Amino acid sequence: MTRQMKLGAFLWATGHHIAAWRHPQAHVRAGIDIDHYIQLARAAEAAKFDMVFCEDAAGLREANVGIASQTSRSIGFEPISLLSALAVQTSRIGLVSTASTSYNEPYGLARTFLSLDHLSGGRAGWNLVTSASPIEAANFGSTGLKPHADRYERAREFAEVVTGLWNGKLGASGHDGQSFSVRDPLDLPRSPQGAPVMVQAGASDVGRDLAARTADVVFTAAQTFEEGKAFYDDLKGRMAAYGREPDDIKIMPGVAPVVAETEAEAREKYEELQDLIPDDVGVALLSSYLSISDLWRYPIDGPLPDLPESEGMKSRQALVIEQSRRDGLSIRQLARHFAGARGHWRIVGTAAQVADELQARFEGGAADGFNVMPSYFPGELDAFATLVVPELQRRGLFRRDYEGRTLREHLGLKRPA
Amino acid sequence: MDNGATMHLAVSLFPGTTDPSPGREFSRLAGLVQKAEAAGLDMVLLADSAPASGGGAANSPMPFEATTLLAALATVTSRIGLVAAASTIDHQPYNLARRFASLDIISHGRSGWNATMAQAPREAANFSRPEGFSPDDFRRRSEEYIGIVQGLWQGWDADALLFDQTGGRFHDPGKMHLLDHKGEFFSVRGPLNIARSPQDTPVLVLSGLSVSDLDIAARTADVILLDDGPIDGAKARYEELKRRVATCGREPNAVRLLTNISLVADGTAKPTIADSMEKGFRAKSCDGFNIQMPAQLSALEDLVDLVLPEMRRRGLFRESYRGATLRSHLGLTGGGDQ
Repeated sequence: MTRQMKLGAFLWATGHHIAAWRHPQAHVRAGIDIDHYIQLARAAEAAKFDMVFCEDAAGLREANVGIASQTSRSIGFEPISLLSALAVQTSRIGLVSTASTSYNEPYGLARTFLSLDHLSGGRAGWNLVTSASPIEAANFGSTGLKPHADRYERAREFAEVVTGLWNGKLGASGHDGQSFSVRDPLDLPRSPQGAPVMVQAGASDVGRDLAARTADVVFTAAQTFEEGKAFYDDLKGRMAAYGREPDDIKIMPGVAPVVAETEAEAREKYEELQDLIPDDVGVALLSSYLSISDLWRYPIDGPLPDLPESEGMKSRQALVIEQSRRDGLSIRQLARHFAGARGHWRIVGTAAQVADELQARFEGGAADGFNVMPSYFPGELDAFATLVVPELQRRGLFRRDYEGRTLREHLGLKRPA
Repeated sequence: MDNGATMHLAVSLFPGTTDPSPGREFSRLAGLVQKAEAAGLDMVLLADSAPASGGGAANSPMPFEATTLLAALATVTSRIGLVAAASTIDHQPYNLARRFASLDIISHGRSGWNATMAQAPREAANFSRPEGFSPDDFRRRSEEYIGIVQGLWQGWDADALLFDQTGGRFHDPGKMHLLDHKGEFFSVRGPLNIARSPQDTPVLVLSGLSVSDLDIAARTADVILLDDGPIDGAKARYEELKRRVATCGREPNAVRLLTNISLVADGTAKPTIADSMEKGFRAKSCDGFNIQMPAQLSALEDLVDLVLPEMRRRGLFRESYRGATLRSHLGLTGGGDQ
């Protein structure tokens, strides 16, 4: 069979667009409505998506309470409980959640995800993050955010312990390392898919090495084909050093489509959303991606100031700065642009136009699939499912039905020994 | 028609003979909990079977961790309370508070956290603390931990969410409160990134109490589980506990004391169990019972089909649910049924 793309449905509150919650067709109570999420997961499953994916942060996303109160992102379900509920209300779709290596212990996390895997019959995945937010850090001690390198060293050991527990390879003496010690094997049966799927998203140098060594799936942000291709080649090139085949990792860039029957309608839909963004919210969101706190001091119609390298999200920061220089964007323009897609790749157009762009990156060696980030829910997930998915299927680029029952089978991943 | 009965009944399911297939095991457990719900029980307590938590769990493990199981069960039930055990060693307090706050919204106000005051002997060794905690440290840490969790559960006022789409105001920032906790073992700023519980806060069920934990329980617990004992001692214990609850400035009825009893699945349980529950309850030694049984249909059938009809005939247990939340089943304030 010819190679087909993998698709994730990235679920987030009222939608990925920062002003989604204000859209008349968004479900404004999404963050407290479990039935809403059950319907989204079932819709994604009916469209044969490989997985639904939930982002996570153990804390508020925005420190400025005035800004935060103008977005819907301060409240939402905790994703492991959410996906456990979805597990028994769906039957085929993969269920992937983010969880932090900085604020968990590997034994508990391995056990919890394995339980989700059993509840779902082998459809669970864990997206490893090291957590770059000082807001989260303040909920777990008084010492503040640890340096990037330290967080990744802890993450490397964490991932090693978790996979050892899942694969039953911890050894009789358990694990006694720099950050963690574990004595017993897990008390749950082996995963129906061998082990839950390991997902990562860190794009820094050390993040790429960790992914090349341990990840099954990598989520990434790439604005242009060239960026995406460079990342894809670099990451796949690192895998041989760890004795892995390039196809052992599926690279899935985020994509934020706005799709409609006609291009004019799609543009209108996009502009309608952009007009709902308050300037102070856009600038605050951009500030958080740049890991600086005083962007509001600079003229909103002027260029980005020069910025020092931060301990936060290194790779995302570089992406934003590059784009602002390349396209000569003002702070306001950049803020609106990023508020819309949060640094991910935006496509506005018809189903054929969206499919063309996805196909070009997929066939051009810049992606194995895509993590789809609908602007608002449920409308924009439905639009992708009913317009773009059939177009991809007609072109033979996406499955018409699930090939198997587990997430590993959907993704075409090996079962771990 | 309501019979006015005030006894509270919980069942505590511990791992029994499990089905070799975890998928079928969930359906089997769901069937048990649905049966308990049809019988109108206040709540089901789900044990967490980490080997560290002790007992013979390693011989027949449930394939599920308790909080994930609770979330799944919440979607296939609609009235019964669902309480999961979760360890203060396993989770950071922020994460645990958030998990249960989420479970409470998923279950529409039917969730509770069963915290134990007893340190499981092997547990800390799997959580990077091979030395464990001294009993005194464990007690102080547990008290601080519980305070953080309950504080975080109150971080958002019930009317904080505005959903004002045209005005661009999603929530009222004045109704979101930092915890700013700095203590001996933990430092937690808060708030949780999740809305207020539909039943005010999830229910806190405390077990594994020693005599020196009674003040902590009196101050913080919604439900206390204590082992069965001679009736005179149990009556004195109940009075003492209610006195301490009052001393903490709480209504004596703000805490429910349930006595643990075991049910053996042999079809002969009806007369003895019903008699002993009636005797204990009428002697005012407790507010009800936590009936511990293996997660097996035969055991639950004995309770539901033999014991409960007898209890209702004697006017001891209510005919059906009076509200929608676990707090309302337990007759606790802030039940969210208003």
